[in-house]
Amino acid sequence: MAKEIGGYVKLQVKGGQANPSPPIGPALGSKGLNIMEFCKQFNGRTQDKMGVVLPVVITYYKDKSFDFVIKTPPAAILLLEASKVKTGSAQPNRLKVGSVSWDQVRTIAETKMPDLNCFTIDSAMKMIAGTARSMGITVAGKAPWEENN
Amino acid sequence: MNYIEVALNVEPDYSEILVAELGELGFESFVETDEGLLAYIQEGDFDETELQNIVAKYLELTAIAATWKSLERKNWNEEWEKSYEPIEVGNQVRVRAVFHKPDPAFTYDLLIQPKMSFGTGHHETTWLVMNEQLSLPHQGLAIMDVGCGTGILAILGAKLGAVSLLGFDIDEWAVENTVENFEMNELSAETEVFQGTISKVPEGKMFGGILANINRNILLCEIPTYIQHLEPGGWLVTSGFYEVDQPDIEQCAIENGLKKLRSNTRNQWATVVFEKAKIE
Repeated sequence: MAKEIGGYVKLQVKGGQANPSPPIGPALGSKGLNIMEFCKQFNGRTQDKMGVVLPVVITYYKDKSFDFVIKTPPAAILLLEASKVKTGSAQPNRLKVGSVSWDQVRTIAETKMPDLNCFTIDSAMKMIAGTARSMGITVAGKAPWEENN
Repeated sequence: MNYIEVALNVEPDYSEILVAELGELGFESFVETDEGLLAYIQEGDFDETELQNIVAKYLELTAIAATWKSLERKNWNEEWEKSYEPIEVGNQVRVRAVFHKPDPAFTYDLLIQPKMSFGTGHHETTWLVMNEQLSLPHQGLAIMDVGCGTGILAILGAKLGAVSLLGFDIDEWAVENTVENFEMNELSAETEVFQGTISKVPEGKMFGGILANINRNILLCEIPTYIQHLEPGGWLVTSGFYEVDQPDIEQCAIENGLKKLRSNTRNQWATVVFEKAKIE
């Protein structure tokens, strides 16, 4: 018989750096889950993504066991990586601090596709480009869907 | 170490941008809320001005409000610790809390009150290392426990005959907890526990056995240093990594002069035991 689900906990934690402090401690501890077990598993599974913020969805069961799914990093983090800037613009609407190509936007969109509410890669790319603009990162050149215009 | 919780009221579109920005400032983890975002950072790393600068630069684009508070240091794992089940390793070792009755059928009775530290035997890696310890020589040896957590591995080491234990961990909870657990088990071995890493172990301090249940990256970085502290003929037990990472660990240890004795796995987690060559 399938285990009875108690609920879900959604967190964003840096790869390889889960520890029993807040928010992990109170979020899991209040459900009676073994926090240290989660930290060991999460850190073990994210050794190749050290320091990258990763969304994680923990499913916990009535018997106090749990499992979890690690999602792709937020698009904003992938954009900072791709543009090689450490922070968004000081004045995102005026001052541009970096740029990415449409190919890079496509790569990020493809990475994020499983976690986005998008049906096509074009709509995912538009969403990623919107995030880039909000951070003061320009997307260089014409969008693929504009090239024939 | 206390933590700061920053509550940000912000539109969902800007939540993930703030996660990226705050992640670069040293914020460690985040929770999305109906109002926006909660962000967490160690008190010593929190810089109010840097936070205000981030908020200010997005204020022209969206409404953001930030408030913060310090969170008290607390044992969040208490609920689980109150009711954990004893763990058995083979038919010799039983790990239990003070509220469990001892079972005389087991040779080695370990008392562990975890208090938010890792190591009760419930996790595969702790179990795997303890299982290996049972067939490794401990009698009369000095043992080093790297990333000691609750101190469970060192405690078993002492019960198997080790005469000297050195344990250390980067986490202050773990250090306090190891000291408490050492006392609770009334060990006859000499014990030393400190907060820190292998870099604080004095050069020339040697051990007959080293227990290192940590993770892949730390092991790959530190195995050469462990070897410097390992006596000829001494053993090193590594764990805390998945089976897929085992070849990297073995390559690192062997390239640095160790010989693989054996390995084992449990639910995709692995342990590998190495030996340093004896001087002919």
